Amino acid sequence: MSKIICSAAIRGAHKIVQRAEAEYQAAMEKWGPDQEIGFPNTAYYLPIIYGILGIGVKKLKDAKDVLDRCRSLLPDMVAEHVWLPYLAPALEAGMATFFAEEIIEAIRYLESPDYYTRTEGPADGNIWLGAADDVILRKRGVEFVDGTAPGFAAILGAPPTKEIAVQLAQELQEKNLYVFMCSDHEGRKMSELLVEEGVQIGWPTRLVSFGPEYTAAVFAMGFATRVAMSFGGIKPGDFTGNLIYNKDRVFAFAMPLGTVTDEWYANAAGAINWSFPTIADTPIPEILPTGICTYEHVVSNVPYDQLVSKAIEVRGLKVTVSEVPVPVSFGPAFEGERVRKDDLYLECGGPKSQAVEWVTTRDMDEVEDGKIELFGPDVDDVEEGSRLPLAIVCEFAGRKMEEDFEPILERQIHHFVNHTQGLMHIGQRDITWIRMSKAGRAKGLKLKHIGSVLHAKFHQEFGAIFDKVQIKLYTEQEKVRESVEEAKRSYEYRDARIEGMTDETTEMFYSCTLCQSFAPSHVCIISPERTGLCGAYNWMDCKASYEINATGPNQPVEKGECLDPKLGQWKGCNEFIYKASRGAIDHYSLYSLMHDPMTACGCFECVAAVLPICNGVMTVDRDYAGMTPCGMKFTTLAGTIGGGLSTPGFMGHSKYNITQKKWISADGGIKRLVWMPKSLKEEIGHRLKESSERVGIPELLDMIADETVGISEEEILPFLEEKGHPALSMDPILE
Amino acid sequence: MALTGIQIYKLLPKTNCGECGVPTCLAFAMNLAAGKAELSACPYVTEDAKAELTEASAPPIRVVEIGAGTKKLKIGGETVLFRHEKTFVNAPGIAVLVTDEMGNEEVAGRIDRFKRLEYERIGLTLRADLVAIKSVSGDAGRFEALISKAKNETDAGIILMTEDPCVMETGLKVCGDRRPLIYAATRENIEGMATLTKKYKCPLVVKGKDLDEVAELTKKLTDDGLKDLVIDSGARSIRNAFEDQIVVRRGAIQKKYRPLGFPTIVLPCEMTDDLMQETLIASVFVAKYGGIILLSDLQGHSLFPLLLARMNIYTDPQRPMATSPGIYEIGGPNEDSPVLVTCNFSLTYFIVSGEIEASRVPAWLLVADTEGLSVLTAWAAGKFVGDAVGISLKKCGIMEKVRHKKVIIPGYAAAISGDLEEELGDWEVMVGPRDAAHIPAYLKEWSA
Amino acid sequence: MSFEIPTISYNGVIRQITVGKEPNCVTVGGESCYPFYLFEGAMPHLPRIAMEVYDAPPEDWPQAALEPFADVVHDPAAWAQKCVGSYGAEMIALQLASTDPNAQDTPAEKAVEVTKKVAAAINVPLIVWGSGNLEKDKEVLRMISERCAEETLLLGPVEEGSYKALGAASLAYQHTIAASTPIDVNLAKQLNILLGNLGVPDDRIIIDPTVGALGYGLEFCYSVMERDRMAALTQEDERLQFPIVCNLGKEVWKIKETRLSEEEAPLLGDPLKRGVLLEAMTALLFLLAGGDIVIMRHPDAIQLVRGLMNELMGEGV
Repeated sequence: MSKIICSAAIRGAHKIVQRAEAEYQAAMEKWGPDQEIGFPNTAYYLPIIYGILGIGVKKLKDAKDVLDRCRSLLPDMVAEHVWLPYLAPALEAGMATFFAEEIIEAIRYLESPDYYTRTEGPADGNIWLGAADDVILRKRGVEFVDGTAPGFAAILGAPPTKEIAVQLAQELQEKNLYVFMCSDHEGRKMSELLVEEGVQIGWPTRLVSFGPEYTAAVFAMGFATRVAMSFGGIKPGDFTGNLIYNKDRVFAFAMPLGTVTDEWYANAAGAINWSFPTIADTPIPEILPTGICTYEHVVSNVPYDQLVSKAIEVRGLKVTVSEVPVPVSFGPAFEGERVRKDDLYLECGGPKSQAVEWVTTRDMDEVEDGKIELFGPDVDDVEEGSRLPLAIVCEFAGRKMEEDFEPILERQIHHFVNHTQGLMHIGQRDITWIRMSKAGRAKGLKLKHIGSVLHAKFHQEFGAIFDKVQIKLYTEQEKVRESVEEAKRSYEYRDARIEGMTDETTEMFYSCTLCQSFAPSHVCIISPERTGLCGAYNWMDCKASYEINATGPNQPVEKGECLDPKLGQWKGCNEFIYKASRGAIDHYSLYSLMHDPMTACGCFECVAAVLPICNGVMTVDRDYAGMTPCGMKFTTLAGTIGGGLSTPGFMGHSKYNITQKKWISADGGIKRLVWMPKSLKEEIGHRLKESSERVGIPELLDMIADETVGISEEEILPFLEEKGHPALSMDPILE
Repeated sequence: MALTGIQIYKLLPKTNCGECGVPTCLAFAMNLAAGKAELSACPYVTEDAKAELTEASAPPIRVVEIGAGTKKLKIGGETVLFRHEKTFVNAPGIAVLVTDEMGNEEVAGRIDRFKRLEYERIGLTLRADLVAIKSVSGDAGRFEALISKAKNETDAGIILMTEDPCVMETGLKVCGDRRPLIYAATRENIEGMATLTKKYKCPLVVKGKDLDEVAELTKKLTDDGLKDLVIDSGARSIRNAFEDQIVVRRGAIQKKYRPLGFPTIVLPCEMTDDLMQETLIASVFVAKYGGIILLSDLQGHSLFPLLLARMNIYTDPQRPMATSPGIYEIGGPNEDSPVLVTCNFSLTYFIVSGEIEASRVPAWLLVADTEGLSVLTAWAAGKFVGDAVGISLKKCGIMEKVRHKKVIIPGYAAAISGDLEEELGDWEVMVGPRDAAHIPAYLKEWSA
Repeated sequence: MSFEIPTISYNGVIRQITVGKEPNCVTVGGESCYPFYLFEGAMPHLPRIAMEVYDAPPEDWPQAALEPFADVVHDPAAWAQKCVGSYGAEMIALQLASTDPNAQDTPAEKAVEVTKKVAAAINVPLIVWGSGNLEKDKEVLRMISERCAEETLLLGPVEEGSYKALGAASLAYQHTIAASTPIDVNLAKQLNILLGNLGVPDDRIIIDPTVGALGYGLEFCYSVMERDRMAALTQEDERLQFPIVCNLGKEVWKIKETRLSEEEAPLLGDPLKRGVLLEAMTALLFLLAGGDIVIMRHPDAIQLVRGLMNELMGEGV
């Protein structure tokens, strides 16, 4: 921690404690030790003292112990030649500061009962509200718990102008934050500036003017401390519990505006105990390493137009966007809406122009959340029935953002754009195709609104995995071409990365229990090389799903000790399966059809079945309605093996999985595949070809029979013999 | 442990002759494993294999058949304690009691209601199954007359109730060809009843004073070669009867305890005098393992709820129930009434039709064939998509029945609206609410 | 017995939850065995039946359901009093059906007023149930939570979309909440985890598995409840060890078969008895699957269920 800050904070704390002691002494003499003191209408006494120390200060004499504690907490003043101190003494000094300030404010209530209004808003010309009573605490604290108000900004001092004051207040309000104000800078006070500009202040507008002095900062801290006791069930005196509750749940920060005095430093140091960082407009020293707070502790010299966004970032606060700001309706009901030729106003992509959508990750300081830019003409600049090239580039940044989330976020663009009335979206990546209808345009829809939609929806649905997103739309041919090139490089990199992942090098698999509503004992284990049998979830999707929703159906499964590398059984997986199937299934293999295959829910894209006479395996997908060589159609197979059972000789799997290396590898892998429907063969043909080459039988594809060869084992066997299918010479599949 | 399909397959001839009704031995093996086929369907299975398979596939609770012909009732054969674990297989038989001390009218009324009270529901016919004829007087002649009457008037399964073997034989002479259930062998009459059971080849109820006695008696009878037995634990308090049902089921399934490996009969008619309460008691035993439930009377208001309970509990939890596809008229729609379309998952159908009804807006409901899948699932599986729904709309004849050209699709299937419009030409596709509960509000606003 | 009764190894117990404020509170839960399996465990608290009261006169009830309350439907407080006084209701469930934006869209302030009146009129615990409209429930139940802070209510439905707002309200004002999820064990568990993460204490959560009526999907809920209980009692699934509430009266009395007259459907018999039995049977089956509180409508149905519960508990043996 910065030595300068620590020294200043400790200096400030000494001053404040001394002041408290002096005022206390005077009060004792005037009122006597049994005089009752406290904040109005609260069961929490002086709340910081009560919450942290467990001492309920009811009478003047009760404050004596507290002041003694302040003294013992106060570190010595820092001498010039000493390199220390570090964080701990400053934090203790900060704590002592708050205890002392609560006593100062309690004495103020005693000495000048009308100093504060004791109301929700300004009254009789007095704008200083003082401590929140318990009614306000309950009513407003609820908002802290349910997230309607994620936290507060404690502002000390004031910005240089009224305009900046109003702008800051509005910006904080827009983020649903409470603004707690106290103290002054060169006589200017934030609250007064707002009032002068005609801004309504008070609890109902979330602009709370606590008091004119720096000591009123304890009303903010006391509020946070009481929230933990009132809503978190934290007992008085459980200071660790209280501080951790605040770190995890109350998104607050200190925002000193103006010269940071020793007293302000002392208060800021105190707030760090609650994990509330300090964001300053002046060039004070920074404390960037993390430790107590979620991220940095003190960030300084921030321009006014960036103060709020910086504060939000440093405190780790998530942006919430409740409305999708477009002039047309938005919702899943419009997903299927078509924009036909006759309704068409503007077309981007498709057969006759180029369009691309691309999600990428940038550094935090390269992204300004909510910034939406269009380079090139928008819809109003072109004639009805026009075409424009289009590139949609979404730049994400976030402390939890990973490049692995890019494809998952990118796939959402399709849905979000489609949910917009008047827009139709087809395709993905560099084959994107967007149409805007005349009706949509008539309602004021612009291409730029695509950016607004994406910004709002990304925050609403995926806010957990990123902090900021800005969107750039290009409609100039050259720019679009450049974006396409850049995106293509990124696609290639991603594809290669996914392909390159193996089960061996991955410690964490994921579960999926989405289907337990109808297949109660079914648990999918999804590894990089065994994608979900429904085809909808691969390992990466599950990982992202878990990041977004930690209590959802996709949970991490530490695979643990490998019990059988050939069959694909791990201790950790089996334990998880046992628990998640509620005792119904205690183990299965990821790589085998014959030995304890994975359970099947019913949503599988394909079913593989053993063909004993051909010594091989067939697979059939949902779209093929005819008879198969195993004597059962897809629907019969589905009915036989679905419902959460492990059925040796049969297995549900995705289409993609067929060409993954681990597909029934324990039984011989793709070399066992003797029959599949023609349409499926064509659909995955090119990947199948690659797999064939991988196993050293490039002509395998032509050896696999389909319904044109036959739909019984007897019919296809001669074909297999003629082609010399490798399965025929493998070990017997039935032991 | 039951054998897997592959294990069974290994014991089969592997000829794929198809004579069992399915094309391959593997498919047949899978059916055997699932209990959907009988080994006897295979003409070529060896004796050794048969012995091995029969032993392994014998269900922990014996399947007992009562009656003959189309009204044959199967009970027992259950393999699980909770329906979600697999499914409950054979629904309990519901029986109505007539005695030789009832007046003619009472008897006639019961038999008449037994025949008449029949309900169609999603392709199933719900009704009671058995008539129980009880000799209270001990007079063989009266017993005989009553049985004749029941036998002539219905083709239902029969339960003969008397503990006197001589009287029982009189009854068996009349209806032995209908394979009635003999009620009951007790410690006192077991020899006589066993003899009759063998002679007439009928199933037999074993009634003990408690389960210990039941187990002792069933052991004796099975040693004697009798297998088609049904258990009456003798309990007549609800709590005790409830407990006995659980013990019998657990004993058979968890412990494979053969002396209790039989279906049961419960007698709510002997537990209360109030038909409402009696029917409610019966529902307890629908849920908890009754094989036959004997009631003192059947009334429309009592039988219908009980039959629903039985249908619900015995639905296969892994196979959705389907409503038959087609166009349904709700509330007398006319040519200006709205047209809604939904899937044929029966639950969806019930809820949607219920909400339309509640809206009091007459409407046409097209139930599309989605193989019993719900809207979202069917959509995901490609069964509730534009062309499929479009074809159903064209084929069902609704286009001739209404003047307007508008169809309302479920909110969850909004994605198909474009395809559907394309399929339907000049029809307008309107996206309805996602939640059926909002249908009334939607329909009240709707105009052609 | 010549063979030992095969037992289940129970390793969990359902939490005991107290609803309402002293001295008018009731406690539910505490089971250490499957419902009514008293030969191998205990049910320290008999399941409770709550009687429905509506915030506005019902418009479309079948005559059979309306008849007992015809004199009080215009006054929810009097209605509640009648349930307690004449029918011995152990709890009252105030259904705020009229707050639904698709119904009368009664404002939240009005709902608060009704809730206060009903609460003041009775000396049994009060359940307050929203219309099921997520956004409106958030507003209404939150305001009730705050304005009726002195009552200890059971508030429902609290869904995934409203758990933060309503969970926070429960935290602030000590109400119990019915955590509502659509017929799914994992979703139920997930919501309970989320409520726990929010800080809602475990002694203030009751599971609402969402129920349907006999013949209308009852089997789905029945099995989900059985699975909830199985997980809670035998698989140490700590996040499912909560009592269950079934809001079934309104489901039963809206199905077609409770509305048809004897003339319209002669095979269905007497409409009153039929409706009563449909409701009683629905309730009883849910009790057998694990229900701890059932919300019901008709006094006759309630009496039947109560009688049968007593029999299953073994009174009178």
